[in-house]
Amino acid sequence: MNTSALVNSVLRFVLLLLLQVFIFNQVRWGWGGRDVLFVFVYPLFVALLPMRTPRPAVILLAFILGLAVDFFSESVGVHAGALTFTAYVRPFILRLIQPRDGYNIKAYPSINDMGAGWMLRYLALILLAHLLMFFLLHYFSIYFLSDILVNTVLSLPASLVVTFAIVLIFNPKA
Amino acid sequence: MGRLLRILLNSSGFFTFAVLQLVSLYLIVHHNDSQRQIWAETKSVYGSYLTKKVSDRLAFLDVARENEILRRENAALLGRIPGSGYHTYVDTATVNDSLMQQRFTYLASRVVSKSAYGPYNTLVIDRGSNLGVERGQGVVADGGLLGIVSEVTPRHARVISILHLDTRVSAGLDNNAFGTLKWDGRDPRRITITDMPDYVPVAPNDTIYTTGYSNVYPTGLPIGTVESSEPLPGTGSQNLTVVLLNDPLLAATGYVVRDLFKEELERLNQVR
Repeated sequence: MNTSALVNSVLRFVLLLLLQVFIFNQVRWGWGGRDVLFVFVYPLFVALLPMRTPRPAVILLAFILGLAVDFFSESVGVHAGALTFTAYVRPFILRLIQPRDGYNIKAYPSINDMGAGWMLRYLALILLAHLLMFFLLHYFSIYFLSDILVNTVLSLPASLVVTFAIVLIFNPKA
Repeated sequence: MGRLLRILLNSSGFFTFAVLQLVSLYLIVHHNDSQRQIWAETKSVYGSYLTKKVSDRLAFLDVARENEILRRENAALLGRIPGSGYHTYVDTATVNDSLMQQRFTYLASRVVSKSAYGPYNTLVIDRGSNLGVERGQGVVADGGLLGIVSEVTPRHARVISILHLDTRVSAGLDNNAFGTLKWDGRDPRRITITDMPDYVPVAPNDTIYTTGYSNVYPTGLPIGTVESSEPLPGTGSQNLTVVLLNDPLLAATGYVVRDLFKEELERLNQVR
């Protein structure tokens, strides 16, 4: 992890936190007094961490970011637990969608290095894992499985569009 | 050890994840109302089920100790039930009468053991030499005869049942004709009287009494009723089939008959 990647990560940590808390936490859509569509952008922080970051560090950073988001939301621990899980499964997702000849040792999870199509699939899988875990922790029971699935299915495209737009607009190199 | 350490380090991601996930779950359950309620509900539903399963699985670990405890408890309880006590309460009926001197006393006893039914039936009663039971004393029960004492220990006595091929008791009719009562080993409800003179008129349903001639039983105790008589040609005697009044096989209690004059009478019999 070189200096620019470190600076970028720190900046992303703060900016994504503020973005999530002050803008996208207000964006909710649903019917019958029940919100079913949420937009999550902060998983982007975990997704864009350099691939060679030690796993415990990724998980610990994810936990801290999740706690920070929780701090500004009404839920304590839900975001943290979900993002911890996302950070834990990130290597498995990377292995799942790795190119035929593997990852370049210097590669970052960015459009420049991996391409837009790979990035879209990567973000979709990261967000899928995150949203499933988040709604599972939010409803906290398999009994609400239909709610969990409906929320995930509706929130996934919205979050994916927003996060992919952010990646396209800023197009971080590292 | 080094290998274990390497495994731990290699899977440090998983351990970090597990620890932080548990912290998250703890925070969720303790700081969110709806999740706390769901958790409490889930715990109450599955917790007892799980606890029961676990204790069922682990129950065998304790079974030897439990068994020992239960066996001791069983022993203590068995020692308390009435059947395991030796009845020290002595129930002897004597009558003080200046006109009638007491000759026979009756000692209440219980049957504590019986042989399996066969041609040589014996039983054990819970009265022995401590209370004056001696060889040769008769035992009566249920309005009939039970047997004769054959062996005596301090607390118990062995009784040869009336249903024993070797038992001989003097028995007769109320007209003082008498014979010898013995069992032929076939029917526990019927016994036979032999050596009864064949000129004695016997009718069915005549009552058979003890004679008292053998100093075993008092005179005039009813034994049974005559069912049939069979003269034996050429011997001058007849055999009587007698239906017993009681069923010696079912007796649970009995009275040991003590003849206070027995020694005196035996001394007379020894004089030639």
